[in-house]
This record gives sequence, structure tokens and C-alpha cells, in this order.
Amino acid sequence: MTNFLEILIRGLMLGSLYALVGMGLTLVWGVVGIVNIAHGEFVMLGAYFAFWTFSLLHLNPLISVVLSVPIFFLIGATLHKRITERLTNAPELSALILTFGMSILIWNLAQFFWTNTYRSVPYLTGNFSFLGLTLAKSKTISFFLALGMTIALFTFLKYSKIGKGIRATSQNSEVALVCGIDTKKMRTLTFGIGIGLAGAAGVIVSLQWVIFPQMGGSYVSKAFAIVVLGGLGNVQGALVGGFIIGVLESLVTQYMSAKMAQILPSLIILIILLLKPTGLFKR
Amino acid sequence: MGILSKKFLILVGLAILLAFLISFPFFATDYWMTLLILILIYTVYASGWNLFSGLTGYTNFGLAWFIGVSGYVSSILIADYQWPWLFAWPMGALFISLVSIAVGYILLRIKGVYFAISMVALTEGTRELFGTGYLEPITHGGKGLPFVAGIPLSTLYWSILFLAFVTIFICYKITSSKFGLQLMAIREDEQAAETLGINTTKAKILAFTLSSFLVGLGGAIHCTYQNYIDPNYAFNIQLTLTPIVMTLFGGIGTVFGPVLGATLFTFIHEILWAELTLLYMAIFGGILMVLILFFPQGLLGWMKRRGILPKIRKI
Repeated sequence: MTNFLEILIRGLMLGSLYALVGMGLTLVWGVVGIVNIAHGEFVMLGAYFAFWTFSLLHLNPLISVVLSVPIFFLIGATLHKRITERLTNAPELSALILTFGMSILIWNLAQFFWTNTYRSVPYLTGNFSFLGLTLAKSKTISFFLALGMTIALFTFLKYSKIGKGIRATSQNSEVALVCGIDTKKMRTLTFGIGIGLAGAAGVIVSLQWVIFPQMGGSYVSKAFAIVVLGGLGNVQGALVGGFIIGVLESLVTQYMSAKMAQILPSLIILIILLLKPTGLFKR
Repeated sequence: MGILSKKFLILVGLAILLAFLISFPFFATDYWMTLLILILIYTVYASGWNLFSGLTGYTNFGLAWFIGVSGYVSSILIADYQWPWLFAWPMGALFISLVSIAVGYILLRIKGVYFAISMVALTEGTRELFGTGYLEPITHGGKGLPFVAGIPLSTLYWSILFLAFVTIFICYKITSSKFGLQLMAIREDEQAAETLGINTTKAKILAFTLSSFLVGLGGAIHCTYQNYIDPNYAFNIQLTLTPIVMTLFGGIGTVFGPVLGATLFTFIHEILWAELTLLYMAIFGGILMVLILFFPQGLLGWMKRRGILPKIRKI
């Protein structure tokens, strides 16, 4: 029984991280209307950011998490202003293929400059015991970091003026524009926030797993499953979806095989799209 | 007279091209043969993708799924059941088109980006499934299946040449038919098309299945040509992406765009792969972005805008 509880907690910890990636993706999708396939690549860049600041500047990864948000926000906002804003009224296919191209470009450049070597950030190692459960230190701290980021995001979206503007743009862009909201600015900010979340998630990922240029792909497929589960543009739904995916992955890995766990996101996407394409939750 | 002679000139040009392509194995070196085989395979892929996605606007990100499933069926038939290639190839294509009818019936109700994602999910899921132990007795699992079909290069070349011509001909006939117009109506506004009395579901499934058959046939030939198949190779995302880039490069929704794109892009690929192997994918991604941002209608669209090609089309 303890074992089962441990697997469950491990799944929830994993889920908090997936949710962070998924919330960024769903936010951008809902507000900007762009499916950012390159989202996972920014997770990868965030992880490398943590690695380089740790190994070159000896910066504590906990500081890197805080630093990564504004840095990746700026990258995302600039990217949107320069490139993706042009596609606001283009067919969906265009944005899809553009971000696909961006994804390939980024990981190949990362591969070129940083090689395929597996790297890691040896910051927190070892386990600690709590009420008879054994948990890895790095995963526990990651969990609380991810949770903290999530709470910050929700507070921002719920109470700040910009957050309200973003939510309004997501609900109905035209009416928001009529109400005096600068929807173009909101889209740029949202894209920045989404990339900022991905970058922060990357730093957190670096605490527990190895880093390599093509790591983004697995995160983006899980993030898609989360978005589909939670419903397009639904941030709360993405949070719940993240936990569902995390727990399921943990259970399947334990009781079936790691290979089956890899098929899981695809399977969830297909099942949900067939049975309930609007996602599990009402907006 | 003017119009007649122009038509005549085009026909003569096509006949010369055809004669050149058919007699190619008699004088060409093996290097040029393999290059032309690749061009023709990708012409089939790109035209097949364009036939469904270019006309209906439903982005099919599962081209590798067509190729992989059909390639697997035909390869297993050749390797384990000693079928002759001539029967194994159509069998693979037939299998994938039957599966596609079922899949299309289910998935084609999903619109836009969701359809694209579900096709990616389908491809990735099948790839993982074919590599697992559950299907190992049939698919040989993740270690792959090397086989020798015993087919001379020239015969293979003629087969793929024949398929490419059939594909282009079908695409040409469809784009200038009522059925093609129905598909384009779906692309422009599906609801309006439905209101006009078009059975959109039927039209979409038909185009999807036809596309899967042609691409599947190409995939079966491709796998025989490589003499090898494994899940990572047969369901590689590159097999989906490259034809899409080629189609965009030439001109999406046109008949000759994919052909032009496949031809030019295979040469570009050859040069890039030889000179800049490490940065190949980055350049590939960069080209994709530039195409979407600045040339959304591809080379043919650009030539039409510049007045090099006429803007009118016949129905």
C-alpha cells in the first residue's frame, strides 16, 4: 500500500511539471490562436539555461527559475511581435507548419552548438523519508516550485488588470477589442507568458532529468494530451489534465511498461478527441 | 491557331519528357537513377498529400502512417510469405486504404488543428505499438526487418515512374472535376458546402482514402527499394514533413506544385545533406518558416503573381 501511495505521489509531482508546460501551451492556443509546436523546445532551452548558469556561473538553480521567467518572457514576446503576429489571420495550417519549422530549427541549432551529450544539473541529490515514504529531494522541490509557479499564474490571471485583459481576449477577442482592450498587446504578452512558463518548466526539469537537444518532443506531446484533456484554452483544465497525465504515466510505468507509458499521450489524445472533443471540463 | 499550336507544343514537350524518363535506365548511372527514384517517390508522396490536404484544407500530419503501415504489410508479405513484389505492393496499399476508410470515418469529424494532432498521435502510437513486444511475432519488433525482394533497379524505377504518372494524372483529373470543386468548397467553407448539398463526409473520406492508397503504394515501393524496414524508419516524422515542405515549396492546391517542389527540393536536399549535414534540419526548418511567412502560395503562386504563368484555370 505504501508503494502504491508512493507511486501516486510521484505521479502528482510529475503532473505538476507537465501541467506547467501544458498551461503555457493552452494559454497561447486560447488567446493567440496559435498551436505552438515549438513549445517543447523552449522547455529544452530552459533546461540548458539552468545547466549553463549552474556550470559556468555556479548559480543556484532556484535562482535560475526566478531569472528564467523574465528572460523567456522577453524571448517569447519578441518572437511573437516579429514573427507569429503576422499569422493572426492566416489559416491554422500556416501557424502549425511555421511553429513546426521553428521547432526543428531550434533543436537542430541546440544540437549543433551543444552536441548530443546528455547533461544534468547535479544540484540536489539523494532522498529523504517522510512518514515512511521515500521521496527524491530534487523531485519534491520541483513539485513545490511548479506549484508556486501555478499559484502565481492563477493569481495573475484572476486579479491583475493584464490578466483580466488576457482572459477577455481569450473569451471573445472582438468584444474585448470593443471594450477597449488592446488585444494585440494581450496576444504578445500571452505568448511571452507561455514561453516564460515553458522556460521555467525547463529549469525545473533540469533538476531531475537529463538534458539533451531533442528532449522537447516528449514534453510537447504530453502537453498536447493535457490541452486536449482540459479543453482548448482552459488553464484550470490544463492543471487537472497535467495531474491526470502524470498519475497515469506513473501507474502505467509501474504496472505495465515504460514503452506503454510512451504510447499513453497519443492514446489519450485519440480517445478524448473521439469521445469528448471539447475536453473534460466546461469553460 | 495560336491556341492550337500552344497545346500541340505542350503535348510534344510532354511526350519528349516521357520518352526521356522511360529510356532513362538505358544510359544513366546508378547515382542518377537513385536520385530520380527519390524524386519520383517524393512526387507521389507530395501529390498524394496535396490531393487530400491541399484541396480540403484538412492538414494531414499522418503521411508517415500511410507509408509505414503499407510498407510494413508489403515488406512482411515479401519477406515472410515470399509474395512476389507485384502483388505485395498493391496489397499493402489496399490494406492501408481499408484502414483509412475506417479511420477517416472516425477522425474526419474532427476539424482543424485537432485533426492534425490526432493524425500525429495515430502515427506516433502506431510506431510505438509496432516496436513493442506485443506485435513482435508479426512486425519483428524494434530490431527491424531486412529483406531482399530481388527486383532489379530498372524495374523498380519503371514501377515508381508509372505510379508517379498515374498519381499526377489522377490529381489532374480530380482538380478539374466536380469532385475536386467539392473538395475545394470544403476547404473554403465546410458549412456552406454542406448547405449546397455536398455530402462533405463522403467527399472527405473518398479523398482521404484515395490519398492513402497512392501514398501507401509509394511507401511500399520505397520500403522495397530500401530493402529494410523498422518502426523508427517507417513512421519517421521526416516522411510526413518533407512532402509537406515540397508541396508548399511548389504551390499547395495545384497539380504541378508538388511535382515541381519534389524535384527541386530533392536536389536542394542532396546538396545540403552533402555540404551541411549537421545543420541540415535547421536549414530545413528555416526554409519552412520563410515559405510560410513570405511565399504562402509557393513557387507556382509566385510565378502567377509575377505574370509568368496565367492566372486562369479550366474546369
